[in-house]
Amino acid sequence: MLQVMASEFLKIRRKMILFLIFLGPLGVIVLEAINFGVRYDYLTDLYRNDLWKGLMGEVSMLFTPSLMLGLTIITSMIANIEHETDAWKQLFALPVTRTEVFLGKWFLATILLFVFCALLAGGTIVLGTFLNYGPDIPYLYLLKKSFFPYFAAMPFLALQIWLSIAWKNQAIPLTVGIMGTILSMYSFEFPDWLPWKWPYLENSWGEPLYFVWAGLLTGTILLVTALIDFNRKDVK
Amino acid sequence: MSQTIIETNHLTKQFGSRIAVNNLDIQVTQGEVYGFLGPNGAGKTTTIRMLLGLSRPTRGSIHIFGKDIKKEKLSVLKKVGSLVENPSYYGHLTAVENLEAIRILLNAPKSRIEEVLSMVRLDKDANRPVKKFSLGMKQRLGIAAALLGKPKLLILDEPTNGLDPSGIIEIRELIKSMPKEHGVTIVVSSHLLSEIDQMATQVGIISNGTMIFQDSITALRKRAKSRIRLTVSEAESARKKLLSLGYPASFSDNRIYIENRSDQKVAEIVRQLVHEHYSVYRVEEERKSLEEIFLRLINGKGNQ
Repeated sequence: MLQVMASEFLKIRRKMILFLIFLGPLGVIVLEAINFGVRYDYLTDLYRNDLWKGLMGEVSMLFTPSLMLGLTIITSMIANIEHETDAWKQLFALPVTRTEVFLGKWFLATILLFVFCALLAGGTIVLGTFLNYGPDIPYLYLLKKSFFPYFAAMPFLALQIWLSIAWKNQAIPLTVGIMGTILSMYSFEFPDWLPWKWPYLENSWGEPLYFVWAGLLTGTILLVTALIDFNRKDVK
Repeated sequence: MSQTIIETNHLTKQFGSRIAVNNLDIQVTQGEVYGFLGPNGAGKTTTIRMLLGLSRPTRGSIHIFGKDIKKEKLSVLKKVGSLVENPSYYGHLTAVENLEAIRILLNAPKSRIEEVLSMVRLDKDANRPVKKFSLGMKQRLGIAAALLGKPKLLILDEPTNGLDPSGIIEIRELIKSMPKEHGVTIVVSSHLLSEIDQMATQVGIISNGTMIFQDSITALRKRAKSRIRLTVSEAESARKKLLSLGYPASFSDNRIYIENRSDQKVAEIVRQLVHEHYSVYRVEEERKSLEEIFLRLINGKGNQ
């Protein structure tokens, strides 16, 4: 499995993948910098009780859709490395199991998106410091805001890597992922059981952890289903 | 002494109602270059995909190195190098990086990359991105990748596809040398008989998913019976003369054809013709080409 991961990391060299992982959080932070720059007095007044939490709330409004979109694009790019030149057949004629290969791709996306979230958390601190919001950074709150959406989005990660690998035509997973992202932006009125609502962490109990657990559980179920499907198919 | 490397039993693959490969019994023994021959769409690639565990047979079994591919796929694949159809590569990576991505999975020593690159003469282009390669160079890279793990069995699907003439000769020589130098067994598929004729020691001919011939290349060549063509004056009457003298001869296109017999017999016939005052212009041996035999076989005209 370690070898599979080493090989996967080698294969994303010189692809735009790593660049996108930086670009996503950077874009969010830059937009928020503009937001706070233009409306500094208004927003600082609005969040005067807790400036940092106010900033983090604003950031997460943009962050969650960008995470969903980023996840869609990253999984598609990872799968497309093999689709591009029909490299699956070469890969599976090597002494590796299909499970290892599939998990390798999934794990690669998981790691990259974790970095995506970590960069965002770092970026938020940098932005807050620039805005002179003081040294009392609520780190725990920041971690929650940055990584809870990530865990709650696990079903989408499993779904997107599955679709991207199963279809050579990347229009299919990309459409599903982009539609999902748009759908999720209107999810506040959805019932709690709809996964598109989960990454926003807003539920009727006021307990974001429920969605984290739901995301991890559903994500695991989807991943196992995808693995079974992937093992059953002939290689194209 | 020779061990069976590949053995399939009633290997069948069905796509819906279409039978792509039908009851194939392949036998490949150690150290042979097995030429897998058939027209496009005959089922060669489908068969090779099944041998490599890329697709599952509908029926039948495959044993490689005596192991059931269904049960011990990984341990079999460790000793198999392959190239299937169009070459697979990662265009954004260099040749070395491409091989490295595979080497990691094979657990081969790093020095092996240089070795295989020089075997296929890509050492000069080792650090160029592969998307800039010509088709022939990509094909060589594919062959290099197949050799990376020092395989005991090489399965190459149309390996000379897209190569220029000198490249074809190089790869052919490489393929021919492998069994001698490293004891490797090779399966080479092609739709070109001349290609197989120059490399293979064993031949399997497949047409419409069915094996129609499987034997050594010499057995195939033996089918290429030759006959003697005589160009003479007044051919028609000369043929009648020969028949009356007891030599079976056929006539077509103003030429006489006789079975190829011993030199003395031919000399005797010529002497008779001269004696009867026919002018003998040409005495030639006409060999039925392998190509013709191949075409006859795949057109289902049976054994002759």
